[in-house]
This record gives sequence, structure tokens and C-alpha cells, in this order.
Amino acid sequence: MTDYGHDLLFGSFITPSAAGAQQALQLAQLADAEGLDLVSFQDHPYQPAFLDTWTLMTWVAAQTSRVRIVPNVINLPLRPPALLARQAASLDLLSGGRFELGLGSGAFWDAIESMGARRLTAGQAVAALSEGIDIIRELWDTGTRGVARVPGEYYSVDGAKRGPAPAHPVGIWIGAYKPKMLALTGAKGDGWLPSLDYLPEGVDSLPTLNAHIDAAAQEAGRPVTAVRRLLNLMRAEFSTNGTGFLDGPPQMWAEQLADVALLHGVSGFILGGDDPVKTQRFAAEVAPAAREIVAAERM
Amino acid sequence: MTDLGIVLDLSGSPSGPTIAEIARATERAGLDVIVVPTPAEDGLDGWTVATWVAAATARIAVGLSRTRPVMPQPTGAAIPIPAVAEKARESLDLLVGPRLLEKGWTEAPADAGPDQVRALAKDGHTVVVPVTSVADVERVAGLLPDRPRSTRGAAARARRRPGIDYDNVPASLADTAVEPGDPRYRSVRSTYMRGGSPGLVLRPRTADQVADALAFAREHRDLPLGIRSAGHGLSGRSTNDGGLIIDVGGIDSVEVLDVERRLVRAGPGATWKQVATAIAPHGWAISSGDHGGVGVGGLATAGGIGLLGRAHGLTIDHVRAVEMVLADGTQVRASAEENSDLFWAVRGAGANFGIATAFELEVDEVAEVGWAQLTFVSEDVEASLLAYARAQTQSPRDTTVFLVTGSPQRGQSVIQLYGMVESADPDTIIERLNAFVPVGQLAQQQVVLTTYASVMSTAADVGPDGHHGAGEPVGRSGFLPELTPEFARDAAAALRGGRLRWFQLRAMGGAIADVAPQETAFSHRDPDFQVTGLGAFHAEMDEVWQPLEAHMEGLYLSFDTAPGPGRVERAFPPPVLDRLRDLKSRYDADGLFRDNFPLAPGARA
Ligand SMILES: Cc1cc2nc3c(=O)[nH]c(=O)nc-3n(C[C@H](O)[C@H](O)[C@H](O)COP(=O)(O)OP(=O)(O)OC[C@H]3O[C@@H](n4cnc5c(N)ncnc54)[C@H](O)[C@@H]3O)c2cc1C
Repeated sequence: MTDYGHDLLFGSFITPSAAGAQQALQLAQLADAEGLDLVSFQDHPYQPAFLDTWTLMTWVAAQTSRVRIVPNVINLPLRPPALLARQAASLDLLSGGRFELGLGSGAFWDAIESMGARRLTAGQAVAALSEGIDIIRELWDTGTRGVARVPGEYYSVDGAKRGPAPAHPVGIWIGAYKPKMLALTGAKGDGWLPSLDYLPEGVDSLPTLNAHIDAAAQEAGRPVTAVRRLLNLMRAEFSTNGTGFLDGPPQMWAEQLADVALLHGVSGFILGGDDPVKTQRFAAEVAPAAREIVAAERM
Repeated sequence: MTDLGIVLDLSGSPSGPTIAEIARATERAGLDVIVVPTPAEDGLDGWTVATWVAAATARIAVGLSRTRPVMPQPTGAAIPIPAVAEKARESLDLLVGPRLLEKGWTEAPADAGPDQVRALAKDGHTVVVPVTSVADVERVAGLLPDRPRSTRGAAARARRRPGIDYDNVPASLADTAVEPGDPRYRSVRSTYMRGGSPGLVLRPRTADQVADALAFAREHRDLPLGIRSAGHGLSGRSTNDGGLIIDVGGIDSVEVLDVERRLVRAGPGATWKQVATAIAPHGWAISSGDHGGVGVGGLATAGGIGLLGRAHGLTIDHVRAVEMVLADGTQVRASAEENSDLFWAVRGAGANFGIATAFELEVDEVAEVGWAQLTFVSEDVEASLLAYARAQTQSPRDTTVFLVTGSPQRGQSVIQLYGMVESADPDTIIERLNAFVPVGQLAQQQVVLTTYASVMSTAADVGPDGHHGAGEPVGRSGFLPELTPEFARDAAAALRGGRLRWFQLRAMGGAIADVAPQETAFSHRDPDFQVTGLGAFHAEMDEVWQPLEAHMEGLYLSFDTAPGPGRVERAFPPPVLDRLRDLKSRYDADGLFRDNFPLAPGARA
């Protein structure tokens, strides 16, 4: 049993569809108004049916006031880290500290290559992500004097000015599944952001995967609580008499999510589906009930 | 006109809300542009600030100098990958409208007075003044209170293409014309099969307005000119890059003129679905194409080989008169009695002679029809083609069935037959279709007794967003006098080669062949089939098509996009071509109409 003790966060996973930008904005504004903590957007720049995620997130941030904006997750191969650091800090500053950086090493290499980035193997991409994170943290760190120098095989900066610094300590939440990525998450991440559907055995995979992250964190001399655990939930339905995981009434969802929080330490739940009614019920009925259960258990 | 704006001074690290407030105040004050300065290395990111500003405002142009692309990308540079930056620009257009301005302003000092600003604005420069507060914005707005304004904003004007006299678009067309910087541009730039970026789309709604559009086009002879009705053209370049489009899609009424004679008047912008739906209540139909989205204007000037072809002939065989605006702006009517030469030419080569603004069509009484969609699989596509041809050529003329197939996958071809039996008797329909059973192993079938109009209606309506074609269609076409075993062999080889992505046989014969070749400029009356192939690259398709073309005589221009020479000659065999070229010298001697199998005026075949 692991509970890392983080506050619970509830969020929404919104499709950045080019044909449905207004719906995406409305969903984000609904989340903002209903008290969800996060709105998040996948990042696939080569997907013609999608908008550019950065532009969409900025546009949404300008038209919301409370909710945090999270890429879920940024395609690092197509967004060079020095640029990403500045853009992330800028969006965090403009939005008053409402940005967290979901980050991934990239998949779909044919498509990535077709947009002009180089093709990497899975192993190289992990190494590149690690270097990218170092650069981002250096450029954000305006407390240290002098220019930033980060040598690397895939990315390097040599004498770059630091800054701008974000408005708040922006979390780097990593989309990770395989051992090397989990190790990187433990060593350098502030969060772990996988999708439940991609975990080999669903919720039952969590203890093993968490253990990978914990081991890597400890090896790097960090407390295991340095890494918040989040989960994208793409398949979930409210029903009156369902019996499966996230197939039932709101109270049942709340109990199931509270279990996952208390047993596996997951403290962020991000719901997909682009459905305003579901989003609203998630915010109004599931989130408070789950928080209540977890708070009571933690007493 | 003079454009005046502000440049945001970000040196004091203003907050997001402050920036938004300044932006809104700038828009409210009637200024023209908000420039986001090129950021300091450690300053706020330009794209993010520009998007933030655009999201906070509704109309005003947002200026941001484009980051120079550097390839290969230095590993540590804070610059975007060019394709990702391009995607971001497209997305911003979609989210906030075409408001991004990437160059063309001059910065005045923060304390500039009216005289200094006026001096800087002299050559039509946009002048921007640095501001740090709403009070600054108000001061800037007061600098040139009576400056002349333009109807289109700075960002829209920046997207204009060279060589077009935008400020002198004829008054009758100015309100409906669409430029690259207009929000509506997205919905008119491309067609069904083709992506495009025209410099100006004129949208006349009357014949007089068409004449005005042509006058404007005559002033821009050096630019490509596309004529568009419903935008389904392949050979017809009804969109282009940087040129003009005259889009008569808005001239789309359909009305019954004479019930006794079944005479119907249709505008070029109507689709065949609209025509079919309008005349169906009378129990009528007109032989058109197989797809209800195709336009009257493009099809009724080219041929119209469709699902009632064998029963009722080509679409052009039903045209009784056409109203047209010629290259010099003259409005004429052509029929068997008036301008009969032109009437002949329009039925097959209409795109060379003018812009049709109305067609009078004599339609047929067509009760119910059998509509069949049959899917076969076959391991021997050669035998299947022969079986199809045998069945089709031996069918009575009430039956018209088309065949579509592509490259075989793991030795198996999927062959789609779709067609019509003009009969309301289920037994007759089944009997006719049974003849096609030898084509292969029947995998799926759907046969319904329905109306021609409901078959046309399966085509989706084009919504307010318009067409979204991309790239260029690579099409080849030809007429097949007879489908011989040798042709079947060569076609099967081409299909197996994998580069012929889409292959279609359209049945002809029957009523199409009742009309004498000299009756219309479309003179290919005898072939059994019209053949179409679509591929990915022209050079590749030339190779694929060559052996097939050896079996063909002539081509149907509507499906052919080959760039090479000799295509016009194949579309129009010698006596037809000579006559067409003579007429071209008479009606369009300067070759204004040249977007679709252009004829060289006067030249001899
Ligand atoms: C899905 C699909 C199915 C098709 N099915 C058939 C079919 O079954 N049978 C068949 O014969 N063809 C068929 N075609 C081809 C079609 O007939 C031609 O492409 C036709 O030109 C399309 O007409 P449009 O008005 O929609 O096209 P547009 O793109 O608007 O115009 C195409 C060209 O026609 C000319 N033109 C258009 N309007 C006028 C006008 N008012 N006056 C003079 N010239 C004009 C211009 O040269 C223009 O470039 C099909 C095409 C598609 C895309």
C-alpha cells in the first residue's frame, strides 16, 4: 500500500480537434467553472485533424481564469527544449501560474520525421528527453548566476541566457510506460502521467510501475513523494447499475478512485471523452466525494 | 489609408491580464494593429504572447515578426521546427481568424507626436508606437484622429497576392468577393479534389455580374483564371495558386419552365442532387453523373456519363439551350436555332467558350429505378473485367452498371459494381443484375427499388465550410471501343502493379450512341466504355496508362489531368478540333478561358 499523500487533482482530457475548437473551449470553460483542477490536451503536430496544441492551450488559457492547463503530453522531438522552456514559462507567467508541463519522448516516428525532426530509436528518445529536461530546468533557473551550459548528445545549450522563470514551480509530468522512461520519471520528473488503457494490466499494473519509479527516485536521492502520480481515464461511463471499474453511479466512481489513490498513490485523475455532461458530473459529483473519502482515510 | 497601432512594451514584465487589457483598449480605440515585439532571449515567447493577445481581442491585427527558419535545426536553439510553426499559424487562423501580420510596420518612438507619425506613415507604412499602459494607448489613438481607413484590416491586406488590383474590384462584386485575408477564404479556397490558394474569388450572382467579373479578369490576363460552379472538377482548374476564380456557385436556382415539354431551367451552381430533388415530384429525372454533388456548370458543358446513360443518353443530350457570358462580356443564348455553332461547342467543350449562367434541360419521365451496389472478390481480375464487359454489353439499354476496383491485395481484387436498372419491376431488375454474377464471388449486395433523386441524395451536402480537397488529382481517362481480352490482360497487369490506385469503367452505348458524332462537340458516341484511372504521381501514371491507352480511342476530358501535350487532341478528334479552334478564334480569340483543356485559337490540327 502506497499513498504518496498529494492533494487530489481532477481534470479533463480534451481533444484538440480543428473542427471543434469552440467545443474544446466550451469544455475547458465548463471545467473552469465547475471546479476541475486541470484541462489537458494531447500533442500530435502531424495530425492534420488537430490544432497546434501550444496555440490552442494559450488561447484556452486566455479565456479561462482558474483551471490549470496541461499538455498531455508534449511531443518533445517536435518542440525543441530551449523553445519549450521559454514557451512554458511564458504561458505560466501570462496565465498567473496555471501551467504544468506534461512531457513525452515522442512516438509515431514516421510522422515526426515527415515534419522535419530526426528519427530516434526508443532508447535514444529517452536519452534525448533526459537532456531536454535538464535544459528546461536550467533555463527556468534564474536563481543561478551566469549563462546556462548543458552539453548533450541530442540537445545542448552553450551559453544561453536563463529565463524567463515561470510564475510558479511548473511540474514536469512525464508520460512513461517502459522501464527506462519510468526510471527517468523517478530520477527527474515531478509527475507521472500515463493513460490507464496503456497499462498492461490496468490498475493492477500500478504497484510494479510505481515501484520502478520509486526505486529510480531513491537512487537519485529524491523522496518518492517528489513524483506525483496521475492517470488518464479514457473509458469511463456513468450508469445506474454497472459493476465494472468506472462503470456505475458517481458515488461508485468516487469510491473506486479513492481506492486507487489510497492503495496506489494516484493523486490525479484526468477524464477523456469530450462529453460536457460527464465532465460536469465528474467535477460536481465524483471529485468532492472522492476527496472526502481520501481525507477521511488519511486522518 | 494609414494604419496606426501599438507595440507592446514588455520590458516591465506586464501580467497576462494587463496585456489583455491593453490589447482590448487598443481594439476599442479603433487602432489597427497590436505588435508583439521580437522577444529578448530571456523574455516572454513571442508566439505565446501573440496568441494571448489575439484571444483577448476580436478583430484587430496582431503583428509578430516571423522567426527565421534554420535548417538543420541547431540542437539548443529556441526556435520552432518550421513545419510546426506553420501548423501553429494555421491553427491561429482557425481560432481567431486571419489576423496575424508578419511584417510591414515601422516603429515610432514612444513619445512621437502627430507630425513624426504622419511622416513615418507617408508611404502607406503602418506605424506602431510603444505602449506600457491603457493611458498610452489612448494617447496613440489621439495622434491621427482623422486618418483614412480601409475596409479590410492590415492583416487581411498583408495576405493579398501580387498582380491583383484589389482596390478596383467591380462594385457589383466587392461585397461578395473573397480575399486570402478574409475569414470566409477557408471555405472557398479549395475544391472537392484539389487544394488551392487563389488570390481572389469573385462570386457573381447574375449574368451582369458575371460580365463585370470577366471585365476584371480581362485586366488580369497574366494570372490564372478558374471558372467554378460546384467545385468537383478534375481537369478543370477551378482553383489555383495566386490567380482569380469566378465562382458562379451562387447561381443555383432550379425551376420548371414548361410541364408539357418537361423543360427545366437550372443555374450552373446547382448540384445534380438539387436538380434531381427539384424535378422528382413530377416523376422526372435527368441523366447526370453518378455523384449528386457534381455541379450543373461543369458537367453540362463537358458530357455527363451517368447511371441513366444507356437509357437516356448523356446530360448534354438534354440541353436545349444555354445562356452564356462570353469572354468580351456579351451575354448570349445558344440553342439549335440561335448561335447554333456555339450550342454545338458548348456541349462538350463549353469551358473554352464562356461562363454558362443557365441551362434549359429537357428531362425524362423516369419512374422508379433499381439501384444496385454489388461487391465481388476475385482472384482473377482479368476474367472479372471480361465477365463484366460481356454482361454489360449484352444488357438491354435500361441497364447501366459501372465498375470500380483498385490494386489487388494478396492476390485478391475487390470489385465494386454499382448501377441502375430503369424498371419498377423487381423481377426485371433481378434478371438484369443476374447477368453480372459471373464477375466474381459476390461478397455483399444491396439492391433497392428507389428513385433517381434518392440515389443522387446520398451525396453529402457541402456545408458552409466548403470543400477541403488537398493536393492535385492525378487522373487519366480514355474511351474503350470494346473491352477486348488484350485490354483486360493489360488492365489486370496495371492493377497488379500497385500504382493504379483507382480504376473505373463507365458503361456507355445505348442512347448515348443514338446521337450522331457531329451533333455535339463531345463526339465519342460509339465506345462501349469510358475508362478512368487515378494514381499518385503524373510520371508514374504516364507509365501505367501507356499500355492501356493503346487500346483506347480518345479521352473524356472530365477525368484527365495529364500535364503533357497531346491531350486536347485526344479529347477532340481532328474534324471536331478544327471546328472548335475556328470557333475559339471567334468567341475567345485571346484565350481568356483556359482552365480546362484549353484550345489554341485558330491553330490547325
Ligand atoms: C465525385 C465525382 C464524381 C463524378 N462523376 C461523374 C460522372 O458520373 N459523370 C461525368 O461525366 N463526370 C463525373 N465527374 C466529373 C465532373 O463531371 C466534372 O469534374 C465536372 O466538371 C464537375 O463540375 P462542377 O461544376 O462540380 O465542377 P467545377 O470544379 O466547378 O468546374 C470544373 C470545370 O468546369 C468548367 N466550368 C464550371 N462551371 C462552368 C460554367 N458555368 N460555364 C462554363 N464552364 C464551367 C470549368 O472549366 C471548371 O474548371 C465526377 C467528378 C467527381 C469529383
